[in-house]
Amino acid sequence: MFADELSLLLLYGLLTALLLGGKVTGMLLTVDMGYLLSSRDESRSLEGMLGRTDRALNNSITALALIAPPILIIALRDQSSANSILAAQVFLAARVVYIPAYVFGIRGLRTLVWTVGFLATVALYFLAL
Amino acid sequence: MTPELTALALAGLLQVVQFVLMSVPANLELGAGKTLSPRDRERLGGTLEDQLSPKTARLYRALNNHFEGLILFTLAVVVVTLSDQSTAFTAACAWVYLAARLAYVPAYYFGLSPWRSLIWMAGFFATALMLVASLI
Repeated sequence: MFADELSLLLLYGLLTALLLGGKVTGMLLTVDMGYLLSSRDESRSLEGMLGRTDRALNNSITALALIAPPILIIALRDQSSANSILAAQVFLAARVVYIPAYVFGIRGLRTLVWTVGFLATVALYFLAL
Repeated sequence: MTPELTALALAGLLQVVQFVLMSVPANLELGAGKTLSPRDRERLGGTLEDQLSPKTARLYRALNNHFEGLILFTLAVVVVTLSDQSTAFTAACAWVYLAARLAYVPAYYFGLSPWRSLIWMAGFFATALMLVASLI
């Protein structure tokens, strides 16, 4: 069932939810509970690996907002093709690699897979046209 | 219209209401001179958010948090609906999400601890369960 764009979008949504869960778990382990449960009136920045997780999450959410429209349009108009499925698969694979590449600070790779994911998104827009 | 879509439309409206709840006091506190400006930090002496009163800043953070929740929820609703997988369970998840996001705003505003965090978790897990339910 993962051979269609909607299923790939669904998996990407789950991946983003898992990353959000990971960030919250990381905060529970490292930030004091009093602050976490408070209204966070003073802002604190997350540092190190947790900061990278937070930035990877924000980037993933931006990517989700961009990829959802063409995929939904392709699904609603029954425009699915081998190319659009391939683009969605490339996007998902790139974003799966992006997360550890950011969290573990692998230079070069993170930027490379981000670019691949972004180009796959742009390709989907053209395929949806 | 499926119950999930109704909940999604209401969640979208909640976002509009949250925006108004935040922007009215923000404009009263900061003045139109600041909010209508290009908001250059060097000229305003910091970000606009930092100049809000603590309670209005909470409404601002609650609004931003709902953007995050809403995009995941939208995805879950659309996938469930388009793949015709709406069940009593996914509908219940959608209503739990909406109720949680409604309760989240006063919980944040009044600084109810740990309720704000627990309410956030209810909304998050409702969304995650919808996503998982449409996979199986």
